[in-house]
Amino acid sequence: MYRRIRGEEIALIFQDPMTRLNPLMRIQDHFLEEIHAHESVSSTEARTRAREALVSMGIHETRIRNYPHEFSGGMRQRIMIALALVLKPSLLIADEPTTSLDVIVEAQILEILQDLKEAYHMSLLLITHNLGIVAEVCDRVAVLYAGKLVELGSVRDIFHKPLHPYTQGLLASVIHLETKELHSIEGSPPDLIAPPSGCRFHPRCSYAQPICTERIPPLVEFEPGHFAACHFGDKFL
Amino acid sequence: MVKAEPTDEILRLDDLKVHFPVKMPFVQRLLQRGETVVHAVDGVSFGIRPGEILGLVGESGCGKSTVGRACVRLVKPTAGRIFFDGQDITKLGGEKLRALRRRIQIIFQDPHASLNPAMTIGKAIGHPLRIHSSVFGPQKTGSEEFGEWIRQKVLNAMKEVGLTPEEQLYDKYPGDLSGGQKQRAVMARALILEPNLLVVDEGVSMLDMSVRAKVLELMLDLKRRHKLTYLFITHDLATAKFICDKIAIMYLGRIVEIGPAREIYADPKHPYTKALLQVIPIPDPDRRAKKVLPRGEVPDAVHPPAGCRFHPRCPAVLASCGWEARDFVDFLDEHLSDPKRAGDDETILGPIEDWRAKGLVASLETNPLKVRKAVERASAVLVEAPVAMKQAVESVSSQNRTVIVRFRSHHQLLQSNVQGRVVECLLYQ
Repeated sequence: MYRRIRGEEIALIFQDPMTRLNPLMRIQDHFLEEIHAHESVSSTEARTRAREALVSMGIHETRIRNYPHEFSGGMRQRIMIALALVLKPSLLIADEPTTSLDVIVEAQILEILQDLKEAYHMSLLLITHNLGIVAEVCDRVAVLYAGKLVELGSVRDIFHKPLHPYTQGLLASVIHLETKELHSIEGSPPDLIAPPSGCRFHPRCSYAQPICTERIPPLVEFEPGHFAACHFGDKFL
Repeated sequence: MVKAEPTDEILRLDDLKVHFPVKMPFVQRLLQRGETVVHAVDGVSFGIRPGEILGLVGESGCGKSTVGRACVRLVKPTAGRIFFDGQDITKLGGEKLRALRRRIQIIFQDPHASLNPAMTIGKAIGHPLRIHSSVFGPQKTGSEEFGEWIRQKVLNAMKEVGLTPEEQLYDKYPGDLSGGQKQRAVMARALILEPNLLVVDEGVSMLDMSVRAKVLELMLDLKRRHKLTYLFITHDLATAKFICDKIAIMYLGRIVEIGPAREIYADPKHPYTKALLQVIPIPDPDRRAKKVLPRGEVPDAVHPPAGCRFHPRCPAVLASCGWEARDFVDFLDEHLSDPKRAGDDETILGPIEDWRAKGLVASLETNPLKVRKAVERASAVLVEAPVAMKQAVESVSSQNRTVIVRFRSHHQLLQSNVQGRVVECLLYQ
């Protein structure tokens, strides 16, 4: 059952393209293995589709017979994307897809991901710690803290009107070209074996009140489509 | 070459080169004339004044870490000279080198890997004092006073970098500390010898955003209080902007632009600097913009491109920047890989593996009957090439059964002074 969904409906690309391809398999065999695991098509057709996917990522089709070590980091990540796309999934999950890449290559890969959204009508779940990338690529944002969703909303809501103090702290600590002052969130992420009572962010929150240590704040819709899990979310509206 | 006067500089690199040999089988080495080397650092010059932070910025593989390591003499320079405090340290060895290491310390990217997991924090931070005990030793090594003296120094250093409560952390192991605490411990260990120069090689890249800010503030604080000098190596121009006084942008073993940070950020000159600044995301969804990105990735440093090393990727490239035969072969490869554009070009100009690229001449040996057609087709393909590359082609001709694409030789690349900084780019020559 899962097998039918994995790959065909939901594809996943990982952080480190250097270690995700089998070094002993040609690129072509990665594709063939994947296609044959899901569909009963001839090897010739599978190979044609593999070539198309590769070419759509800007890699020459003759290189399908090469081994992973013969490609650079950015090309390997493009191969990973091609592998994810060859089954035409409706959702692509990208887990820190550019974290191990150089800045210019990162921008190239992000451009590809954006184009895919439009060209394939595919949804994208982008997992990242880089708020700059979020601002550039995403439509909606979910902010997680210590295993809980603390805020959810459109990218504009989150960046312009953050309701949760954690989101506010996170945005303030981004170092970008216009940073004049450094900000940081006091303390460190909590121990998840014994998470703090009530709101899990309260030990680090400068607005914390007695209620925050006692009651777990529910995720409330403060504005249409803009949710936050903070007892005092309405104060920041 | 533009040279700054070596006046009050604490560190000065003069045309530094570091090449690493490429391992290859013996037979292949015999067959090949000349040596195959990675040009990790290929002629880098700069100086740092006391109390200054110089940011050395570039993508991975550009040689920035090798420069840092060469300054501490962890790698041997192939050519060029390194001066520290007016003294030539390029060939220093033995006891003199050890004495130098006390004055130049280095911090690496990964604090987890920089600390011995079996050594307590206190012992690790005090370790350099034991190694360099001859310099400090008012007391006899191993004596009780010496141990107590070290303990006090270590506790002070821990307080200095904010690794508190120092008494409690003293006997902890690295595994008990968080990433930020470990990086502070590493800084305390580097600072305990009271160095004059600290090389920080991607020292904050592995830290979380909020921890990163604190370590950067610590660095600025130490600079103010102790007039500490830094060589800050990073790939992150946003972080560098925040703490550096001077910036050097490196690409494939060369510095392409160097000057005061404020001027470079306000008005970058080299196309590579412009590209690097442009790709830094702005955390504001209302300011999304389409970017003009350099093509492809950093080429390998065994055979760096001729002329300006950035020319194959440069958005502002000129005909005289260094176009050569392999650029044509790469372009042809790209052309043939797109079935829509290529048509039947593959049968006449392919396969791409048969092309030979040597310096300015690209050639393809083909069927005598096809030569004329191949020349025509190669010229036709070139029409679609980037304008600068097209202009750099001297001729497309044939000789017996060989198609030849010949490039003009490029202009010599020099450094020029432009508005307070030094740029290595033909646009400003």
